[in-house]
Amino acid sequence: MKRLLAFSILLGASVLSAQNKVTFTDTRLKNGLRVIIAEDHNAPVFSIAVSYNAGSRDERKGRTGFAHLFEHMMFKGSENIGPGEHFTLVFNNGGNMNGTTNKDRTLYFETLPSNQLDLGLFLEADRMRSLEITKANLDNQRNAVQEERRLGVDNNPYGKTFEAIDSLAYSNFAYQHSVIGSMADLSAATVEDVAAFFKTYYAPNNAVVAIVGDVKTAEVLEKARKYFEPIPRQKDPAPVDMTEPASSSEKRLALEDQLARLTRIDISWVVPPSSSNDDAALSVLATVLGGGRSGRLYENLVRQQQLASNIGAGKGESRGPGLFRFFVQVAPGKNPPDAEKAALAELERVKTGGVQDWEVEKARSSARRQMVSGLQSSLQRAVLLSQYALFYNDPDRINTRSKMISDVTAADVQRVAKQYLNEANRSVIVTTPKAAVRPGDK
Amino acid sequence: MRTPIAVLRTLKLTVLMCAGTAGIEAQQPPAPPPTQTVVMKGKAPVSDQVLNVRLPRPREGSLANGIHLIVLEDHRTPQVAFSLTIPGAGGFFDAAGQAGLAQATAVMMREGTTTRTTLQISEQLETTASTLNVGSGMSALDATVAGSALTEHVGKLFDMAADILLNPTFPEEEFAKYKQRTSAQLNQQRSIPGFLVQELWSKVISGDHPSGRIAMQATTLNGFTRAQLVEFHKTRYVPDNAAIAIAGDISYADASKLVESRLGGWKKAGTPAPTASDPAPAGAARVSLVDRPNSVQTNFVVGTQAISRVDADYDALQLMNAVVGGGPTGRLFTHLREEKGYTYGAYSGLSAGRYKGTWLASTDVRSEVTEPALTDLMDELRQIREVPVPAKELADKKRSLVASFALSLESPQQVLNYYVTSWVYKLPADYWDRYPERLNTITPMQVQSVARKYLDAGKMQIIAVGDGKKVTDILKKFGPLDVYDVEGKKVTSVVP
Repeated sequence: MKRLLAFSILLGASVLSAQNKVTFTDTRLKNGLRVIIAEDHNAPVFSIAVSYNAGSRDERKGRTGFAHLFEHMMFKGSENIGPGEHFTLVFNNGGNMNGTTNKDRTLYFETLPSNQLDLGLFLEADRMRSLEITKANLDNQRNAVQEERRLGVDNNPYGKTFEAIDSLAYSNFAYQHSVIGSMADLSAATVEDVAAFFKTYYAPNNAVVAIVGDVKTAEVLEKARKYFEPIPRQKDPAPVDMTEPASSSEKRLALEDQLARLTRIDISWVVPPSSSNDDAALSVLATVLGGGRSGRLYENLVRQQQLASNIGAGKGESRGPGLFRFFVQVAPGKNPPDAEKAALAELERVKTGGVQDWEVEKARSSARRQMVSGLQSSLQRAVLLSQYALFYNDPDRINTRSKMISDVTAADVQRVAKQYLNEANRSVIVTTPKAAVRPGDK
Repeated sequence: MRTPIAVLRTLKLTVLMCAGTAGIEAQQPPAPPPTQTVVMKGKAPVSDQVLNVRLPRPREGSLANGIHLIVLEDHRTPQVAFSLTIPGAGGFFDAAGQAGLAQATAVMMREGTTTRTTLQISEQLETTASTLNVGSGMSALDATVAGSALTEHVGKLFDMAADILLNPTFPEEEFAKYKQRTSAQLNQQRSIPGFLVQELWSKVISGDHPSGRIAMQATTLNGFTRAQLVEFHKTRYVPDNAAIAIAGDISYADASKLVESRLGGWKKAGTPAPTASDPAPAGAARVSLVDRPNSVQTNFVVGTQAISRVDADYDALQLMNAVVGGGPTGRLFTHLREEKGYTYGAYSGLSAGRYKGTWLASTDVRSEVTEPALTDLMDELRQIREVPVPAKELADKKRSLVASFALSLESPQQVLNYYVTSWVYKLPADYWDRYPERLNTITPMQVQSVARKYLDAGKMQIIAVGDGKKVTDILKKFGPLDVYDVEGKKVTSVVP
C-alpha cells in the first residue's frame, strides 16, 4: 500500500501554532509503567523516549561508570533481538536512535517513519523484558566505553578538570563521581553486577515511556499494553540519599594539564535541585551572566577587559543539588587571579546592583523560543515529557516551564544570587598547562 | 576479539547481514567483511509498507537586483529562519598569504554598523531570542548571512540583517579585540587532536589549493588591516549571484515584500558568477603523523580525492559510503567497534561541492591497538574494492537512505536545504522526487566500480595524530612516513 503525502496535508494539520501547547495522555499500565502519548500529524514521523530511573547517582563505590556501561549493554540483544539488531533495524528503516546516561537517568530513544510504530514499541519492550546478559557482550562494550572515556576525558585538554569539578564541589558520593566512571571500576564490573542492576532498575515501574508524533493515541495505548504489560513489576529501588552536607568554606584545587595550552578557571556553587521554587530565578541569573554576547561575563571579561578569550555561565537540570557554574579561559599573557577576581566581581555586581529589565526580558524570550522550537521536533517533546514525568512527576512542565521563567522578577534574581552563590558554597579549580615533551626532547 | 559464544550464536541462530550472496562470493577471493557480531534474529515486526514521502516544494522567484528568492511556507510553529548565500565572498577566493581575510570580514560585519555598536547588536538580538550570524568558511566559495526569530520579531531581524550586510563600519577597536581573542582560540585548538588530524589531512590532500584551508594563521590574522576588510566587503558582498532561502511562518508574498523592502537598495555590481578550479591530484599513498606527546589514542583519517557534487558517480559513491561507514550500520563501525572494541566510533564521509572533494574514513583508537585497527580499516577498503556488496546489504542501505527523508519533514529548514542544494548545483527540477528511483537502479557492480575508481590504494593518504614514541615504528609499516609537530611543522621523513 502506498501512502502519499502532499504539501496541502502538511499545511492543513497545523495544530501547534494555534495553541503552542503540547496536549498528551498519561496512563499507568498494570505493571507500573507510565505511558505518555502526544499526537501530532504534521510529519509522517514519531519518536519514542524511554527514561529509566537509573543514573550514575544510583552507583555504589567500586562500580562507577556502571549505569552508562549498562546503557551500552542495552544494544547487545534480548530474547528476540540479536546483538546490534536494534540499531540496524532502526537505521535500515530510515530512523534514528541513541541512548544517553547522566547522573539522574538513562534515556533511550528512536525516531522512525510512522509506519514503524510496532517496530519501535517492540524493540523497547523486548529489551526491557529480556536483556541478554553475557560475558562476551559485557567485555565487548567495556572496551567501547573505555574508548569513549579516552576520547572524552583522557586524550582531551581539560578532561581531568571536567571530572574534578563534581568531585570537588560535592561531598555526597552520588553526584561526586563521574558518569563515565574510572577505568579500574569499569574493568571490575561483572556479569552478575549487570544482571542485578537490570532486575532492579530496568523494571517497568521504574521507567516512563513517551510516544510523540503521527500516531493515534488509542492504537498506541493498545499496542503499549500488548508489548509492555506482560513485563513483571519489580520491587521499587531504594531511594538514593542525595543530602549534600553544607560546606563551611571555599574549596580550591590546582591542576596541571599536559594537553592544555591555556589556563582555565572553573568556579561552581552548589544550588538547590531543579524542583526548587528558586530554580527558575537561578536559570535567569545564568542567562544574565552567561547568555550570549550581551551576557555580563562575555561583555566585560572577553570584550571590554580582554582578560578571557572564552567564558561561560550555566546551570544544568538536576534532580538532586545542582551546580551553578562559571568557566573562564584566561587570555594568553593575562594573570589568572585577575580573571577570577573579575568574574566574581560580575556576580557581586548582581548582588549589590541587581539586574536590568532587558536582562530579565532576554531570559523570558529565550525560554519562549526554546519552547516553540521544541514543538518542531517529536523527539524533543518525547524526551521532555518522559523526563519531566520521571523527575518531577509533572509531564506538563513541558508547557509550564516557560511561564515559570516569565514569572521571575529582577528582585528574585538578585535574591537567589545573594542566597546561594556565596564563598562557603563555592569550589574553584585552576587548570594550568604543563609543557609537554616535544619531539626530539630527551 | 570475537568470542566463541558469539561465533556459536552466529552459526546456529542467525541470518547474517552480509550472507545473501555466498554463491557469488565463492568465486571472489577473499572472504566478505567480518560483520558477524551483528546478529539479525528477524523476529521484530517491521512494516514493509512503502512510505512514499513527497517533499513539499518551495516557491521561487527573483528580485530586481538579481537576488534569487526561495520560500518554504510552513505555519506549524511561529518562527522564521532565513539564509542568504553570497557566492564569491568565501575564503576560497582569498589570495595566497591572505587566507582568512574572508572569514575576518564576515565575523567583523556584526561588530558595528553606522547606527549600532556591537553591544547594541547583541542586546537587540538576544532580548528577542533571535539569531543572526555572518559566516564565511576558510575554503568556502560563499559567505552566508543567516538568522532566525519568532514570527513577531521577523521585521526587526531583517532590519538588523540589512544593516549588518550593507552598513558595517569595521571599528578599529573591535578589530583589535577580535584579533586578540581569535589568536587565543587558534592557539587553543592546537591542543585538540580532532583539529590536528583535520588540518594535516586538508594540507596533504589539497596541497596549496584553497580547499586545504581550515584555519587562519595567527600571524596572517595580525597582519590584516581595517582597509582590507572594507575593500573585501565592498567588492565581494554583491547581490548579483546571491540567493535568500526563507522557511517558516511566512507567505511567499510577505517574504518577497520583506526582502524587497530591506535589500531592494543593495545594488548590482555586474560581478560574474565565481568559478572554482579543482585541486591538483594528490600524490602517491603516504602516511603523515602529527606527533602529539602524551596522547593515549591515535586519531586516524584515511582517504583520497573524490568528486564534485554534480559528478555522474555521486549517487553510487554516496551509496558506497553508506556501506563502508555511513553511521552505526556501516562496516567500519560494525567491525572496528562492535566486533573488535578498538574504538568508540568509526565512520566515513563524502564531501562534494563545486570543485573536486574528498572521501575519507575516520576513527580514534587507543594507542595500543593502532596497528591492528589500521590494518583492519585498510582491509575494509580493500574489501569494498575487491568484493561486490551483497544484494541484501545494498538493499538495506538504499532503504535507509530513502526512508530517512520522512524524518526531514519535521524541519522546514531541512526540507528547504534540499532545494537550496538544487539551486546551487543547478539540479533538475525533479531531482529529489526521482532520488529513490535513481538509487534503486544502482547495482553492486557499480558500487564496486566507484570503489575501485576512488578508493585507489596507490593514492590512499593515511593521516594520524598520536604519541610518536608509541606509534612511529608501527606507521612506517604502512608506507613512507612524514612526521609533523603539533605546530604543523614537518620534523622528519622516513622511507621504509
